[in-house]
Amino acid sequence: MASLNDYLLVSGLLFAIGLAGVIIRSNIIVIFMCLELMLAAASLTLVAFSRFNVSSNGLPDYDGQVFVFFIITVAAAEVAVGLAIIVALYRARQTINVEDLTSMRG
Amino acid sequence: MHTIAWLILGLPLLSATCIHLGFKRNQGLSTLIATSSALITLILSLVILGNGKDTSTAFSWVGAMGEHFKGIEIGLRIDQLSRGMLIVVTGVGFLVHLFSLTYMKDDRAKARYFCGLSLFMFSMTGIVLASNFIMMFIFWELVGLSSYLLIGHWYQKPSAADASKKAFLTNRIGDFGFMIGILMLWGITGTVTFSELELWSATPAPFNSTYLGIALLCIFAGAVGKSAQAPLHVWLPDAMEGPTPVSALIHAATMVAAGVYMLARFFTSVDLEIIAFAPQTIAWIGGITSLLAALMATQQDDIKKILAYSTLSQLGYMVMAVGLLNAQAGVFHLFTHAWFKALLFLGSGAVIYACHHEQNIWKMGGLRKKMPLTFLTFTIGTLALMGFPLTAGFFSKEQILEAALHQSTPLFVMAAIVATLTTFYMGRLLLVAFLGENRSKNSHHAKEVGALMLIPLVTLSVLAVISGYPFVASALSPLYDHVDFHFGPAFWASLTALVVGGGFAFTFYRNAETDPLSDKKIALVFRNKFYVDELYAQIVRFGQDCVAAIVHFIDELIIGGLIVGGCSRAAEGFGKLFGRLQSGNLHGYATLFGLGVILLIYITVFVP
Amino acid sequence: MSLLFVLIPLLGALAIFLGSKAKSTAIATSTINCILGLGSVFCWRADVWSMKVEILSSPSLHLAFGFHDGMSVIMLVMSVLVLVSATFSGKCPEGREMLWYGSILLMGAGGIGAFLSTDLFFFYAFHELALIPTFIMIGVLGTGDRKEAAWKITIYLALGSIILLAGLIWLVSASGSENWLYSSLLASSIDEDSQKGIAALLLIGFGVLVSLFPFHSWAAPAYASAPAPISMLHAGILKKFGLYGLIRLYPMVSSGMQCWLHWLIVLLLFNIIWVGFVTINQKRLDHMLGNSSVMHMGYIFLAFAALIEAGSLEGNPLAKPAAVTLMFAHGISIALLFSLTDVIRRKTGTVEFVELGGLAKTAPRLAFLFGLAGMASIGLPGLANFSGEVLVFLSGFHSYQGQELGTLQIATIIALWGVVISAVYMLRAYRSTFHGETVKATSEQTVHDLGPFCQIPAAILCLALLVVGLYPKSLLGHLAEPESKTPLGQTAK
Repeated sequence: MASLNDYLLVSGLLFAIGLAGVIIRSNIIVIFMCLELMLAAASLTLVAFSRFNVSSNGLPDYDGQVFVFFIITVAAAEVAVGLAIIVALYRARQTINVEDLTSMRG
Repeated sequence: MHTIAWLILGLPLLSATCIHLGFKRNQGLSTLIATSSALITLILSLVILGNGKDTSTAFSWVGAMGEHFKGIEIGLRIDQLSRGMLIVVTGVGFLVHLFSLTYMKDDRAKARYFCGLSLFMFSMTGIVLASNFIMMFIFWELVGLSSYLLIGHWYQKPSAADASKKAFLTNRIGDFGFMIGILMLWGITGTVTFSELELWSATPAPFNSTYLGIALLCIFAGAVGKSAQAPLHVWLPDAMEGPTPVSALIHAATMVAAGVYMLARFFTSVDLEIIAFAPQTIAWIGGITSLLAALMATQQDDIKKILAYSTLSQLGYMVMAVGLLNAQAGVFHLFTHAWFKALLFLGSGAVIYACHHEQNIWKMGGLRKKMPLTFLTFTIGTLALMGFPLTAGFFSKEQILEAALHQSTPLFVMAAIVATLTTFYMGRLLLVAFLGENRSKNSHHAKEVGALMLIPLVTLSVLAVISGYPFVASALSPLYDHVDFHFGPAFWASLTALVVGGGFAFTFYRNAETDPLSDKKIALVFRNKFYVDELYAQIVRFGQDCVAAIVHFIDELIIGGLIVGGCSRAAEGFGKLFGRLQSGNLHGYATLFGLGVILLIYITVFVP
Repeated sequence: MSLLFVLIPLLGALAIFLGSKAKSTAIATSTINCILGLGSVFCWRADVWSMKVEILSSPSLHLAFGFHDGMSVIMLVMSVLVLVSATFSGKCPEGREMLWYGSILLMGAGGIGAFLSTDLFFFYAFHELALIPTFIMIGVLGTGDRKEAAWKITIYLALGSIILLAGLIWLVSASGSENWLYSSLLASSIDEDSQKGIAALLLIGFGVLVSLFPFHSWAAPAYASAPAPISMLHAGILKKFGLYGLIRLYPMVSSGMQCWLHWLIVLLLFNIIWVGFVTINQKRLDHMLGNSSVMHMGYIFLAFAALIEAGSLEGNPLAKPAAVTLMFAHGISIALLFSLTDVIRRKTGTVEFVELGGLAKTAPRLAFLFGLAGMASIGLPGLANFSGEVLVFLSGFHSYQGQELGTLQIATIIALWGVVISAVYMLRAYRSTFHGETVKATSEQTVHDLGPFCQIPAAILCLALLVVGLYPKSLLGHLAEPESKTPLGQTAK
């Protein structure tokens, strides 16, 4: 059976991949997907901790799993809003490449 | 009695105010108001003189504050000194008003001129009647103002505008010292009122005589400015830019004598035997001024400039006498000098008027025949100034020489040389301007002036003769000590001076067409006034204007530029620096964010 | 009753912003205020005329107004005089009447409110209120380099105010008083250490507001580019707020101030001599006047230094009257000068000395009035400034006993040289502006003399200068009175 460490390793790898994607890629859609990847990594950690944190009555600590439900709902909402923003952005600028979107430079 | 005194002070002010506010457009009425106010003050002064009682009156100008400060009073002090001086001021003042009626007849700003004269009469009577030093200082500055206004009467002429500015500023430097002196005197004696100073002097509390001496010298600085003593003498010759009657009244007879008057006030109030060094310094400054001024006078060509330098020289005499602790002699000379110098200036005014504003003596000549009465009165004035026996100047000069002889031989020798020089340059003036042939068209067309001008001239020439005699002097002169006349060294010295100076003048300038001495090196130095003006111009340029430019530069550079501007630039620079981080590049932000998170985790987990 | 003086201009400003006719409203309110203010000179009483309303209980703040003593009355008189002449001065640009006259009234209300507040919080707040229109007016309607001048004065004064506020908060907390009322603060005592710090904060804070060297570089550019009424009101009234505050708060921190005496003396001498030289070197009339007003602050600080040296108000009874008289005189004379300079600028289109000359011929009335104001500002006897200056010098020598000169005496002597310096720059300016031949800018075709409307403000201010100058007791008499009239501060004791 897989140990806690294995779960954490996988979620760490997922998170690293997501972060690398956010930093490296220039297409906003991809960046957005990478963000979701990072969220998934965090959810996986929570679930793993929840599963391995067994209390005295033999049941796992469900707090973490409840938290994950919240994350999933919020993430869904976020996707909706985020994609809408991206569409609006594309309409305005005709591009979704972040390297072209530097009008906030100080 | 008090009412009369207040009236004497107030009438000229009232007249000046009326002219300025109401009657400026009506020139004739303005002159009438000013002249009649001068006449009334003269009559009132005579009334006060006839009354002859010493009295004083005052009202509080600034109330007392605390124990130490008893307030400032505006007070009138009537005693022999002020009574006599009042006669001089109002007497000369009235005659000058009379003379101005003709002299300024064609001036378009006549009302402004007479307004200035009235303001001057007000300020000068204020000095004369002042009962304390602060009040004296107030009117001291006000005569400076009226002198500024009158010198600058023709303000459109750059030279007149500059001269008036110079006079005011030079006097301000003197007043700087004067104020310090008053403040120190207040600290030492606890009072600035003359009558209380007398009381203090009778029973002085223990005090430091050095500081009293310094205070006295500071007060004297005021007199140096107002009476144009070296080194602040430079303004008086320039002041001749004003109308000639003004020169007669302010810059010859009354205002410039205020310094001597003030010193006499002080010396008669406080016993000064204890601080010998201060009076000695004063005497020497007076002596040096009189010598330098006499030397400068020998090479001037402008008739008014010659008279101005002779005024300087005579003022030096008076200051010297006061410094020699013989205030009586000094004030007596002030008294006689006022009449004959006013006469000379008005005489020169008549000449200038007749010659269509020609002031160069080398362009006159032969006026004796054209203007016989003016010539006669001018000669009387000249003789009095030379100290010709039996004129007023002779008696007063005699007293000064006498005082110098008893106290300090070098000063006596100096005074005798000055007397010689006086005869020389006045002889030159008379020979060149009045005798000989007409040397220009202006002098050719000259003709005798009208009666309104002659009345003051004749009156003054009478006074220039009789005012020295004991029966007049003891009645009118502000201070007079009768000294029995005797044929001592002083008499012989002044007689020699007359003969030698007159002889030289006669040899050089009889029938001279140009100045035979003018090409001598030393004459050039005299003509250029020892280059003092040039020296001061340099001092002002480097000591003031350059310093001001440097200070302004530093102020803008260091304070405005480096400190204040530095702060703002620092803020701006930091803003730019941090603005760099705001690249607008999402990748950059993400990287930084990631690094930040890693750093945070590292710190929370691994740093103990 | 004393609330009225603040309320009238405030309501006037409100009415203007609500749309009443700007010019006539401003003139009416300021004139009424002026008449009432002058009337109050004769019938003021500290105990009757004061009012106090608590508007906040924690921290306890009161809307409190009243006359502390004669000093408040004199400041009030100065303010109403300057306010009424400011409404008549300058030329409002078309269509900006609301901003122009509203700002004038607001500034006046702020100044008067600060002088009459007996609660230190509002004392501070009213001054801030007056600063806002100052900034706006300079930035929007100023001339020349107006943006930079507006920013400079904004940053400087905001900084000074913050430091001042810190000082005031420290003062209140150190005194242990429950409220900000002046009387309760005066009754409490503050320990030595805090006094020293509070004194430093107050000196710097007020110093910036009064343009004490080296915090002076905001003044000249701001006054030069501000519209005439604004420079009149700021230089005339608001600048006096700092000095007024220092003298007013002095009894609470008297021993703390003592530590900074020598610093203050050095700085004030820089104010007089250094800035004096800077003034000599100016090439424009407006810059020269701005700098000269900075310079003259040095004299008032000198009186304050004399006060500090004595250790208490009673120790040098001359110092406070001297400072107040000079504040009054300077306020009036500088307002007059700024008003007339604006007239020159409008008539000739320039204030550069090299482009002017001979104005006395084409505009004799203007020349006379400017001469009078200029002579007043260089301390000619017979005009108000002299009575102030002579008292300042006397207060400097009050402790002199005829022996060696102390620091204060030497400072006084050095300061006296400033009298010569100021004569130099003022006469030079007068010479190059009014004397000499007329030039193109001042010829008879372009310049007409002052009209009657322009003469009103000048006449009011001239009269004030003359009355106080000829008979200073008319002013100082009111300063001496509070002993018999129970000032606010002493009833609380």
